[in-house]
Amino acid sequence: MPDTPPHRTLFTAKSLTKSFGEVRVLSNIDLQVNQGEVLALLGENGAGKSTLVKLIGGYETVSGGLLHLANEAGELRPLNSDTWKHATAEAQGVILIHQELNLAEQLNAVENIFLGNEIRRGPFLDKHRMLELTREYLSILDCDIDPLVPVAQLSVSVKQMIEIAKAYAKNSRLLILDEPTAVLTAKESEALFQLIDRLTEQGVAIVYISHKLDEIERIADRVVVLRDGELVGDYDAKTLTKDDMARLMVGRELTNLFPVATPPNATSEVVLELKKGAVPGLISNASFQLRAGEILGFAGLVGSGRTALMEAIIGLHQFSKSSELLIRGKSVSFSSLAAARDAGIAYLTKDRKGSGLLLGMSLPINFSLFSLHKFSNGLINTKKEQEAFSEAVDTFEIRLKDLSISAGNLSGGNQQKLLLAKVMAAEPSIIIVDEPTRGIDIGTKSQIYHFIANLAEKGHSIIMVSSDMMEVIGLSHRVAVMCRGQLVGILEGEQKQEHEIMRYAAGLESQLTQEGEKASA
Amino acid sequence: MPEIKITRSIDLKTAGPFVALIALFILGAFVNDAFLSSGNLSNILARSSFIGIVAIGATFVITAGGIDLSVGSMAAFISGCMILIMNSLMDKIESLPVLILIAIFASALIGAAAGCINGLLTTKAKIEAFIVTLGTMGIYRSLITYMADGGTLSLNFTVGDVYSEVYYGTLLGVPYPVWVFLCVAIIGYVLLNKTVFGRHCFAIGSNEKVALYSAIHVDRVKTMTYILQGICVSIATIIYVPRLGSASGQTGVLWELEAIAAVIIGGTMLKGGYGRIWGTVVGALILTLIGNILNLTDMISNYLNGAVQGIIVIAAVYLQRGAWRKRAPT
Amino acid sequence: MNFHLGRLKLLTPSILAAVFGLSIIASASAQTIGVSIPAATHGWAGGLNFHAEETKKRLEAANPGMKIVLLTANSASEQANDLEDLVAIHQIDALVVLPFESAPLTGPVRNVKRRGIFVTVVDRGLSEEGIEDVYVAGNNAELGQVSAKYIKERLSSGGNIVILRGIPTVIDEQRFDAFIEEIEGSNVIVLDDKHANWNRDDGFTVMQDFLARFPKIDAVWAQDDDIAIGVIQAVRQARRQDELFIVGGGGMKDIVKRVMDGDKLTPVDVLYPPSMIATAMELTALKFLSNAPINGDYILGSPLITQDNAEDYYFPESPF
Repeated sequence: MPDTPPHRTLFTAKSLTKSFGEVRVLSNIDLQVNQGEVLALLGENGAGKSTLVKLIGGYETVSGGLLHLANEAGELRPLNSDTWKHATAEAQGVILIHQELNLAEQLNAVENIFLGNEIRRGPFLDKHRMLELTREYLSILDCDIDPLVPVAQLSVSVKQMIEIAKAYAKNSRLLILDEPTAVLTAKESEALFQLIDRLTEQGVAIVYISHKLDEIERIADRVVVLRDGELVGDYDAKTLTKDDMARLMVGRELTNLFPVATPPNATSEVVLELKKGAVPGLISNASFQLRAGEILGFAGLVGSGRTALMEAIIGLHQFSKSSELLIRGKSVSFSSLAAARDAGIAYLTKDRKGSGLLLGMSLPINFSLFSLHKFSNGLINTKKEQEAFSEAVDTFEIRLKDLSISAGNLSGGNQQKLLLAKVMAAEPSIIIVDEPTRGIDIGTKSQIYHFIANLAEKGHSIIMVSSDMMEVIGLSHRVAVMCRGQLVGILEGEQKQEHEIMRYAAGLESQLTQEGEKASA
Repeated sequence: MPEIKITRSIDLKTAGPFVALIALFILGAFVNDAFLSSGNLSNILARSSFIGIVAIGATFVITAGGIDLSVGSMAAFISGCMILIMNSLMDKIESLPVLILIAIFASALIGAAAGCINGLLTTKAKIEAFIVTLGTMGIYRSLITYMADGGTLSLNFTVGDVYSEVYYGTLLGVPYPVWVFLCVAIIGYVLLNKTVFGRHCFAIGSNEKVALYSAIHVDRVKTMTYILQGICVSIATIIYVPRLGSASGQTGVLWELEAIAAVIIGGTMLKGGYGRIWGTVVGALILTLIGNILNLTDMISNYLNGAVQGIIVIAAVYLQRGAWRKRAPT
Repeated sequence: MNFHLGRLKLLTPSILAAVFGLSIIASASAQTIGVSIPAATHGWAGGLNFHAEETKKRLEAANPGMKIVLLTANSASEQANDLEDLVAIHQIDALVVLPFESAPLTGPVRNVKRRGIFVTVVDRGLSEEGIEDVYVAGNNAELGQVSAKYIKERLSSGGNIVILRGIPTVIDEQRFDAFIEEIEGSNVIVLDDKHANWNRDDGFTVMQDFLARFPKIDAVWAQDDDIAIGVIQAVRQARRQDELFIVGGGGMKDIVKRVMDGDKLTPVDVLYPPSMIATAMELTALKFLSNAPINGDYILGSPLITQDNAEDYYFPESPF
């Protein structure tokens, strides 16, 4: 055991609040982190975990509340929230390793690990010493690479290990890891856990974010659960099972925000079927059917391959040869988005600003862009275009005093409605919506749910990719769950429960093995 | 019913180049009486037609977010090809008009092919347009110098005499090149503003990703803009060759920059997403006017010509950006 | 062989004999001559390159063992690099150089000379005296002077002229200043002068504007034959070919042909031969082939080409 007694408080947060503009993402968080312990942060996507650790690491400024950090003597001292930047934080031993890797790609492992923290001998760099230390760190992490090649040539998982070595080199007191194992193999993860054990023995405190519940069971001492920006519980890890954790993350009543669309019956036509969908490097196995009038939800963690799968269906990625996509029973393969559109399939992107709307252009131009061929017989019929736009403004309740502004000046909600109008102008029968309500207010959300339900009632088929559990469960007839590039299960009826979905999404449960056995039988 | 309106800032862009053009006209008339003579005005129009036609092509490329630096060398190369074709077929084809038509057809073909190469290298090989066209610029420039043996290719006088009508002839008192310029501008205007293709150019130049997700064939449309540019260069060449009946390593030097300048003066955005054909036409006229006015006066030292041109180009763009309106109380 | 004789008329007869006589005598000595000239970016330089290539072929064929390395440059700095390569890689014994620009190349040529290499400078003199062993040049001032004299005589009772100048450089300056000096005091009025950059298109454009601006022009000094070609087209377009004449410069075959045919629009031309590079190369080769004294300045004249003597200056094979 180390000299310093464990469980002495290293860091505390009191009534911590964070708002972006008028949107409050964290409210009244009280948190305590002790020396030598691993604190796991649990929560759904968007619960506020990443924001919380960014506040602690000095990457975001605190909107309200107090932070305290122990000094060398172990006395808690308040931090000035205005000057708490990541450089100050790192100098004090508080280090955050991001989800997104942060390495200088053209530099090698040694240079990255000691970047901004170089060891000098006189005015010169002590390259020999740095190389020696790098080798030592990498061997602790069981990472057998040449530390002198540019990191650009290394795999993502090795880069992650270098990030961790870099944090280790900085003599951290509080190390925050935001989903570090998302890109690591099982073996690499195990090396990381051993390093964590070693660090905690030395009295270092770890804050650990992961969706992989078995990992949390393996390393966490304490579990703190966040939900919708609030801290809902602080538990001793020993008292929790993985199922408990999944339930705690969700723990919410569904409201009647959601209209009920009549579910399709067994005789409804299968409009889209994917058999053994696979895209090299993105999707390994996804099979499902979509019926006329059905709303099929797609749940899963960020990076589970949902968007990639949808983009493959509309022709942006190529399926591998063994896959088969059937539209109304006919095998198809779209070479472009236009081909998919002409077959009646439309995709509504989750990235409104980046790939949905031309922000500098007028609303009618945005509206007609996806279906411009319909307004043209050689020349664009602007009168027809204008009439269709006016109609869409009514249908989709785009409420604006001035319709001559450009799309970039619309609110998020109106942008989403415009995007929906744009896609619907092509009169598709199958509509794939990806995160349709991300970042918009509850009122507009409700409107959009009603549009979607209405479309289904009229016989359109809808695939809704969403990370918002409430809407996936509330609106969908069935929920397909993806995990690591696989469609691991389709839940309906009683099974369509949040903790159940979470178990599939986290990889604890899968319908695939049974089917695999069936197939081989 | 809501109107399709483009935002205010774009209205200013419409006015700016015209203000500059009118200012230059007033200046020209003030500098020399000969400026407003019909002979001089027709000279200006005919002269601007080369850069103007090339710039109309460039308007498409730039609106769709690309750039083509190869147009000047391409013009020289196509001129050289036309002259070689006509000179070598002289003995084989008796009818000179047929011979000239063959050369014109070949010119269009070479222009379209050259544009297609630029387009495919940009879209399929994923090389930046700047680098692709910088490369082809050097290639065509060397090819013409090689074809002319470092000297000048001259069109056979017999063919030249017949062909020269294309540049020097007039219809209703207006030189043919001006009619060609006008036709290309009208077609360009309709294509850019009234068709799906034009709208797609705007979309791609604004945000390629949005265009892709809007089911637009981004690569195809971008390649088409380069092909259009190549065809415009070939049209410019078809009326350029009969003027002097020669092509050399010096032909079309810096046309690319003049064309791009005309496009930008006209209000098209260099970063893409917004283009104006009539602006480009005005831009080409402005550039020609500057040279013409400087030639009509000896008030300014010859050595300062470049400086005057630079100042006027910057002033024209300043007007076009509407910065001057912001200062005025509204 | 007539071809060479015609060109070499410019030299003094004794030198002519020496060059002609000796260059065909095979020599056992192995010598390398480096030739560095600007690339063929315009007509005159095209002619320069043509004559350099021709002379290289001829000298190498006539003198087994003699090697001529010909490098062309697109800029002064490229030419400076070429000079270093000639010394270091090709180990030249003699250098013939037509400097891109005088000042920036004075240093590099001096460095070559310091290695004990025989240096012949062509056309554009270096900024410092005494570096080169041989200097071969046309006479820019004389070109201006001869042109002015002709125009002055043709318009002895008075007249208006316009001048189209080249690219603003020392060469253009020398030609222009000498012209003005000669024309001063005569009855000839210079209406205006503009730069047409030794280029056909600019010649055409500038002349169009002169024609629009000045209702009465009696003569045009185009200074260069490329410019003159553009001027001719502009004048024809304006249908004013009967009221004026044009004096070009250089000796381009197209213009010389017109002079020869008695074209009233271009009654004369003034020589500034790109073949001076051949003179320089022959002289340099002679250094190794004979004991005849070579060192010194060879200034080639800029004679007036008229219908009577045009045939002597007409080389249909040349690109210029």
